[in-house]
Amino acid sequence: MGFWLELAASGLITGGIYAVVAIGLNLQYGLMRIMNISHGEFLMLGAYLTWLAHTTFGVNPFALMPAVAAALFLLGLVVYRFCFYRIARTAPSVEVIEARSLLVGFGLMFLVQNVVYLAWGADLRGYSYLAEPVEIAGARFMANRLAVFAFAVAASLLLLALLRWTMIGKAVRAMMQSPTGAQLVGIDTGVLHPLVFGGGLALAGVAGGLLSMVYEISPSMGEPYTITALIVITLGGLGSVGGSLIGGFILGLVEAFGMHFTSPSLKMVLSYGVLVAVLLARPRGLFSR
Amino acid sequence: MKLGTRIGTALLGALLGALAAPALAQDKPITIGYAIARTGPWSIGAQVTQEPNYIMWAEQVNAAGGLSVGGKKRKIELIGVDDRSNMETVVRSYEKLMASDKVDLVLPPWGTGANFAVMPLAQKHGYPMLSPTATGRKLVAMKNPYFFALLQQPDRMMDALAEFMVARKVRTAAVIHVDELFGLEQFTALEASMKAKGIQILEVKSYPIGVKDLAPVLKAIQAKNPDALIALSYPPDTFLTTGQTKAIGFNPALFYAAVGTAFPFYRDKMTAATVEGVMGLGTWNPKTSAAAKGYFDRHVARWKKEPDRWASAHAWAGLQILQKAVEKAGLDRKKIRDYIAANEFDTIIGKIRFRGSENVSTPGVVSQWQNGEFEVVWPPNLATSPALHPKPRWN
Repeated sequence: MGFWLELAASGLITGGIYAVVAIGLNLQYGLMRIMNISHGEFLMLGAYLTWLAHTTFGVNPFALMPAVAAALFLLGLVVYRFCFYRIARTAPSVEVIEARSLLVGFGLMFLVQNVVYLAWGADLRGYSYLAEPVEIAGARFMANRLAVFAFAVAASLLLLALLRWTMIGKAVRAMMQSPTGAQLVGIDTGVLHPLVFGGGLALAGVAGGLLSMVYEISPSMGEPYTITALIVITLGGLGSVGGSLIGGFILGLVEAFGMHFTSPSLKMVLSYGVLVAVLLARPRGLFSR
Repeated sequence: MKLGTRIGTALLGALLGALAAPALAQDKPITIGYAIARTGPWSIGAQVTQEPNYIMWAEQVNAAGGLSVGGKKRKIELIGVDDRSNMETVVRSYEKLMASDKVDLVLPPWGTGANFAVMPLAQKHGYPMLSPTATGRKLVAMKNPYFFALLQQPDRMMDALAEFMVARKVRTAAVIHVDELFGLEQFTALEASMKAKGIQILEVKSYPIGVKDLAPVLKAIQAKNPDALIALSYPPDTFLTTGQTKAIGFNPALFYAAVGTAFPFYRDKMTAATVEGVMGLGTWNPKTSAAAKGYFDRHVARWKKEPDRWASAHAWAGLQILQKAVEKAGLDRKKIRDYIAANEFDTIIGKIRFRGSENVSTPGVVSQWQNGEFEVVWPPNLATSPALHPKPRWN
């Protein structure tokens, strides 16, 4: 029993982190069709901010999360204004927005990565936080992974609640369902787009901060997460935040059980296998309408 | 001063300059080119182990007046480019350095794969290459006359580990390894060595580079209760394996992880108490010799960070060999190659002699973290401290 619990928990913990990364990307893509390929770079930035503040001032990394989110949110507003505003305004169709934002995203990726290289070099960085084993119902976990998992799920649920029960959440959902309809009833894209873009980066930053509590960090850490996030949002459905949460969990579980019963070397095959299977059965993702 | 006089002076100056040029040309710096990862995944290893040594060496030689060529001291000018951890960029950069820039000498890139890719160029253009971070029988078997591998080959390192296990009566082991040329070569060597010595392998699992969770694999291994857990790993998975083995409360008598254990950052991130008793690929530490201590202190003074206890010293040894060879053979690269191939060299990791591409002098070594230092614990004649065995339980 303890064994199965551990295996499942191991998958859910990984999945929880995947979910936070993916939700941020999904908000941007689902709402504005901005394919921000540099999402992982902002995650990396969040990880460095957390590491820097924690090692310099000794602040608890969890207490830093709101500050990291706020910093990345503000950065998101700036990035949106200078990089994506014109694209969103001038593109004749959503396909053009996708294509152009992809290119801008690539540029941002190099820019952000190299700024971090200049600032802190290529060395691995990190700190030890809650690296103590804890035992729950006969299963053993590293305390930091459990804490990160709890925080990731809480943040995701909070966001889901915001989207469900607040005015701005309603506006975001309306915009996702029908951009033209939403504009007709007076929802201002000029306000909503930068806000949501900033929100997406804030989530990436938080995900990075959480990862820094468990793994070592380096300027090149972000890219693999961008790819995982793309798998998760395709799995869960483009534009469906709840779908990203479930998609993250599914991917984490498949990896954990698959790695145990086959070989860790098949991890990529398993991840993509799930993706292909879901796309065959439901081409628009599990939770799209 | 009138305009005319000024032009006259300028012309005279230019004329004198032109006459003096051949004399100055003799003192022009020795150009030494290399491509290395400053960005991308390889940069983690490259910037710990390799490039800091290149820069420090050039600074040190220049501060002493330069590199001695035919009895005359000439300054070194390093031409280093970022290969962005990209194999094509590595090859293109070296092609440019050798064929079009025609630098006097080259220094190698970081990592087995990149060195493997550049080896044919080194032979084609005749540039000797002393590589501190390339290992594998495959590379040695190429019989490339311009390639010299400083690291101990996998079979030497793995033999040393197996010998240690026999000496301490470790009878069973589980092995996990990264799915890359490095992991496969090390595993092949370890498997052969353990078979020959009668150590039973209870479980073998491979995993892809970039893995984020190994707990499911480690749990399965824990259930088989081997005496030793050996991870033939790269730095990120070394950290992961250490953390998760501790988390699940798996306490094998011997815990070994390959690349990254020798990094000071490993001790700093995981804490000295956690890594106490962890073994890994290492070769030296400041206690190895006075020369090693001197190198360690200079490195800390220059970079404000410690060198790693494995290939940093090989990188420095390679530069020592190159310097000696240039002093003896001048800048004729064929002569430099012949000199390196035919002689024995004193370096900070002891004497080094090459047979073909292989360093046949440096023996296989097992190192272990003890009280914050990566002590050499095997073979006994090189040990800086007796081994801590069985490994203390995770703290």
